[in-house]
Amino acid sequence: MNREAWPAALLSVAGLVAVNEARRLRFGAVTVPGPGFFPLVLAVGFTLVCLVLFVAALRAPAGAAAARSGGAGEGGIRWKVLATLGVMLAYAFALEPLGFVAATCGLLCFFFRALEGMRWTVAVAASALTSVVTYVIFKVWLYVRLPPGPWGL
Amino acid sequence: MTDVAGGLLFGLGVALAPGNLLACFVGVFVGTLIGVLPGIGPVATMSLLLPVTYAMSPTASIIMMAGIYYGAMYGGSTTSILVNLPGEAASVVTCLDGYQMALQGRAGPALGIAAFGSFIAGTASVLGIMLLAPPLTKVALSFGPPEIFGLLLLGFTMVTYLTAGSKLRAVAMALAGMLLGTIGLDPITATPRFTYGSLTLSDGIGLVPMIMGLFGISEVLLNIEKGIKQDVFLTQVRGLWPTREDWRRSAAPIARGSVLGFLLGILPGIGSIIPTFISYALERRLSRHPEKFGTGMIEGVAGPESANNAATGGAMIPLLTLGIAPNVVMAVLLGAFLIHGVQPGPLMIRERPDMFWGVVASMYVGNVILLVLNLPLIGLWVQLLRVPYGILFPLILLFCVIGVYSEAGNVWDIVVMLVFAVLGYLMKKFGYEAAPLVLAFVLGRMAEESIRQSLLMSRGSFEILLTRPLATTFIGVALAVMVLPAVLPSARAVVRMVGRETVE
Repeated sequence: MNREAWPAALLSVAGLVAVNEARRLRFGAVTVPGPGFFPLVLAVGFTLVCLVLFVAALRAPAGAAAARSGGAGEGGIRWKVLATLGVMLAYAFALEPLGFVAATCGLLCFFFRALEGMRWTVAVAASALTSVVTYVIFKVWLYVRLPPGPWGL
Repeated sequence: MTDVAGGLLFGLGVALAPGNLLACFVGVFVGTLIGVLPGIGPVATMSLLLPVTYAMSPTASIIMMAGIYYGAMYGGSTTSILVNLPGEAASVVTCLDGYQMALQGRAGPALGIAAFGSFIAGTASVLGIMLLAPPLTKVALSFGPPEIFGLLLLGFTMVTYLTAGSKLRAVAMALAGMLLGTIGLDPITATPRFTYGSLTLSDGIGLVPMIMGLFGISEVLLNIEKGIKQDVFLTQVRGLWPTREDWRRSAAPIARGSVLGFLLGILPGIGSIIPTFISYALERRLSRHPEKFGTGMIEGVAGPESANNAATGGAMIPLLTLGIAPNVVMAVLLGAFLIHGVQPGPLMIRERPDMFWGVVASMYVGNVILLVLNLPLIGLWVQLLRVPYGILFPLILLFCVIGVYSEAGNVWDIVVMLVFAVLGYLMKKFGYEAAPLVLAFVLGRMAEESIRQSLLMSRGSFEILLTRPLATTFIGVALAVMVLPAVLPSARAVVRMVGRETVE
């Protein structure tokens, strides 16, 4: 299966799941639609379009598919991207227990040190300063809602 | 006409009130800033600053949000000309000739003509809003659910058929967007749909986490992967005032770009990117030296930069008169209106004249601020572009998190944002566009409501869509957009040209 067929296949499966879920809702009638009418019609339409994309991708010559992907394969998924996503996810769940300043300081420290290769002292100082300044701007000046954490920050 | 002049004077009074003037200044300044910075656009920034506006008056909030949008159009050109990297998607085409001008030592006139062209086009488009919006509001009062459904159908068709890549993929994304829009409570019976008992999902997927993920974080992820490095044009930027010859060559492209951008901006699904490509293609076609485009032709900067600014004004018309967002940025602005308890649409000019005329007049004021602000601050923007991306991207990610969390104080919204970030990242890698998905997500619910209300009105007969002239016209145009490219070679060529230019 070529590169272009994979996303179409995954989207088709997602469409089938949506069709199955939408079937459980009351359909009503075409003239008096129920809550399930729109979702079912959309899910069926989406699945059909994705299946067409899937078949077209399978039938396309491998070279043409790669050309259309426009260099999508270059380098593949790099570790920096995965690390960024992983750390952001951890940050989301650390935000409320640790509070904005502490959690943000940790997040920035990781980016500055692990991804950008700054010296530890510079990374920690820059992270701490940025976290506090951001907190002051958004929470104190702009009254934006930010999690306080155990230390009130 | 007297009404319009009176309205404008009243609006100027509102726009020049200290709080609103400050909001306008902050909006255009932040807009220019994010326009200059690659990797974060007006959609993500407006979403980010939406919670900040809760403490502001509704009029000041909308003035600030609108300022971010047209400010970003100004700022984007600076990065395109100096770094050969579009600061904002609507400035992609400016790279072609703008950067070449910079290499020839003419960065100053390139930046100058971009700023003056933007100012002229922005001002002309505000004039257009002023003259067109009030009469259109009267027409819009006759809009019922069938007309709204027809217009939305036209919007979906335009956004999918004028997309850069595969039309079928765009259709898939539009359907996916509408499907995602059905998550939550049914708008008529309040039956939960696709919620799986989750309270977060009962409210539906938030627009802000979706936009931040698809447009903000995914862009950062791609830039991290590419290892983006900004090579700022190091020569001193001098002589921002274009020469007489520059003005002579740019006058017509600015005029054409202004009209083209404004008219295209009104159409649903067009946005501010497509007019720039059409303007560039038009200037190249009309030029006596089309072969020189791409080598530093000032017309290639003046036309597109005027078009993208004029399009921002045009896009305000459907929002202010019909309450319908013609593009993703306007969808965020619509969200801002609704959050502040104001329903934009035909009644707004009568019920909230302060807001209607205040926002329109603020765009005049904002354009003047931008011109005054932009040229002297070029040096600051250049310094900003020298900040390494390794320092910028953590800040962009952090601001995205703040924007999403502060909206509802819900950590799960950050998770939703990250899910959409992964989706956006993969979509860009595999050539699926995010714009049809987001626009369909926003308008899908409105489309569902309008078709169901139409059927209730007609007691279940679809004939209602074919017996009301405006609804029939919109549906007819939508069908023409779908069918004509398949039947007529010339229409096919136009769609291909837009697609090709957008890809290039």
